[in-house]
Amino acid sequence: MPMATRRSALAEGWSAVWAQRSARWGMGIVLAYVLAALFAPWLATHDPVHQAVEASMQPPSAAHWLGTDSFGQDIYSRLLYGARLALAIGFGSVLLGMVAGVALGLLAGLAGGRTEWAIMRVVDGLLAFPELILAMAFLAVLGPGVDNLVYALALSFVGPFARTVRSDVLQVRAQPYVEAARLMGVPMREIVVRHVLLNVAPGIVVQAGIRVSIAILLESGLSFLGVGVAPPTPDWGLMIAEGRAFITMAPWIAGIPGVALAILLVALNLLADGLRDALDPRSGEAR
Amino acid sequence: MNESTVPVFSVLDVEKRFLLRKGRGGPVELRALDGVRLDIEAGSSVALVGESGSGKSTLVRMLLGLDRPGEGRVLYDGIDLQQVLARDRSRFAREVAFVYQDARGSMNPRFTIGEIIGEPMRVHRLHPAQDIPRRVALLLERVGLPASVAVRYPHQLSGGQVRRVAVARALAQEPRVIMADEAVAGLDVSVQASLLNLLRELVAELKVTLVFVTHDLGVASYLCNRIAVMYLGRILETGPVDSILQGPAHPYTRGLLESFPRFDRPLRAPLRGEIPSPVDLPAGCRFASRCPCVQPQCTEADPVARALDGRRLVACLFPLSGEVAAA
Repeated sequence: MPMATRRSALAEGWSAVWAQRSARWGMGIVLAYVLAALFAPWLATHDPVHQAVEASMQPPSAAHWLGTDSFGQDIYSRLLYGARLALAIGFGSVLLGMVAGVALGLLAGLAGGRTEWAIMRVVDGLLAFPELILAMAFLAVLGPGVDNLVYALALSFVGPFARTVRSDVLQVRAQPYVEAARLMGVPMREIVVRHVLLNVAPGIVVQAGIRVSIAILLESGLSFLGVGVAPPTPDWGLMIAEGRAFITMAPWIAGIPGVALAILLVALNLLADGLRDALDPRSGEAR
Repeated sequence: MNESTVPVFSVLDVEKRFLLRKGRGGPVELRALDGVRLDIEAGSSVALVGESGSGKSTLVRMLLGLDRPGEGRVLYDGIDLQQVLARDRSRFAREVAFVYQDARGSMNPRFTIGEIIGEPMRVHRLHPAQDIPRRVALLLERVGLPASVAVRYPHQLSGGQVRRVAVARALAQEPRVIMADEAVAGLDVSVQASLLNLLRELVAELKVTLVFVTHDLGVASYLCNRIAVMYLGRILETGPVDSILQGPAHPYTRGLLESFPRFDRPLRAPLRGEIPSPVDLPAGCRFASRCPCVQPQCTEADPVARALDGRRLVACLFPLSGEVAAA
């Protein structure tokens, strides 16, 4: 019975997101990006890292749908593979940061006392640095690369997750239903999972949704600055950086990945807003 | 002492003080409970009656083991409650059920009613998992709710329905003792009446011991066979409902009875003023400042509870009726 009701709650949440027009748009666009990323090898017209000096800086044409960059690489194909990287790094780093942050926040909120104090001081330390600076410092130590980029971004997300989870846990823990469960003899482990975590989860999901777009923006930013992904890997940040020098003569080189990035970020934010409204018990009929 | 005469709960001179960090003279002490004595016999239904701030909720939290007494002891079946909890918390948790005043708040908002009522059965393994939905339906029927409620969430039910669910959840753990804190307060009179009828039937049918906290003497007298009147952290009068209603021995009890609105006479307000602050209790009788029949001695000696008519206890130097037996 519990499984069945959980699933119906999930279905309810889904329909609550779907009921919002802007969230539906956001979901549709994100889905299109995900599909483009998944099927990049089939959709691409060229090898994304094949350089053809003779065909450099060509405007969009039949051969190169979105033109070529200064190395003669096909921008359309690079855009598809870049989506792969952006989404993988975005979701991967948020997932990693979320797991670590939620564990820390949960521990701090439930343990209290010295444990909580120690954890929260570490979290304060992490939060003292802006995400970009923290990730840059981390990458400077570890060196560039996709996996290091994921770790660096994940680290910068641990703080915010830990902080909000802890405050949510403190709030939920004071609710009469947690005390009621204890009085009823529900074991501690079960109280944490079924009563505390279940009620903290919506906040976590909403925050994760917002963080994905921040992660993708940061990833592009870091690559733009030259501390993220190394060339010639197809990456939007790198593409923008590379096209920056030719912005007046060949605006499509930087412009197209820029627009692709902007559309994805807007769509992700619409989706996150929809999630928030759907999961907030105070908003209308939705749970 | 043989088994049948040991009360389910014995409260032995329990005190509870809270330190408040305000005031210029350092921390201030609040006496929430001050020398409370009470026996709760198996199968009885006891109402704790008093104005807000009288300490009745603190006493119930102590009986549930949520607060420890500062001094004195609480016995469960003649054994110290702290010992009982240390030895087998789960057994105590099953035997003693609590119905919260904030019934909705006492239910996980992300659980369905079926999960909420099923939880104690699942946790204490009272029934095999596949029988639980059927048991939930039976309990819902018993408290007068349709079985379809099981798939809904607490926020989808009305205040009265949620209280019924809270009662059903208490019954689900098959308890010996049910404690309820203002379980009918804040409901429409008709909803209140049907809930009271339900509770009265259940108590009679299941032979559970009931501890019912209320500020309403009418509710107390309808539901319970014993009343303990609390005032500023002490029990002023205890005894069988009928004899207290017919002849209140403590002026405070009489005051409470008279401030109860009735159709056949104009409303008097015999209890003048507010309950004094438990931070600085007056010397002598704690009710002296509001007592209509205060005597000079009342501000000097703090009256101890004395037996009256053999079955009642009253903490008053000049009880209103009956013979005072030697203390």
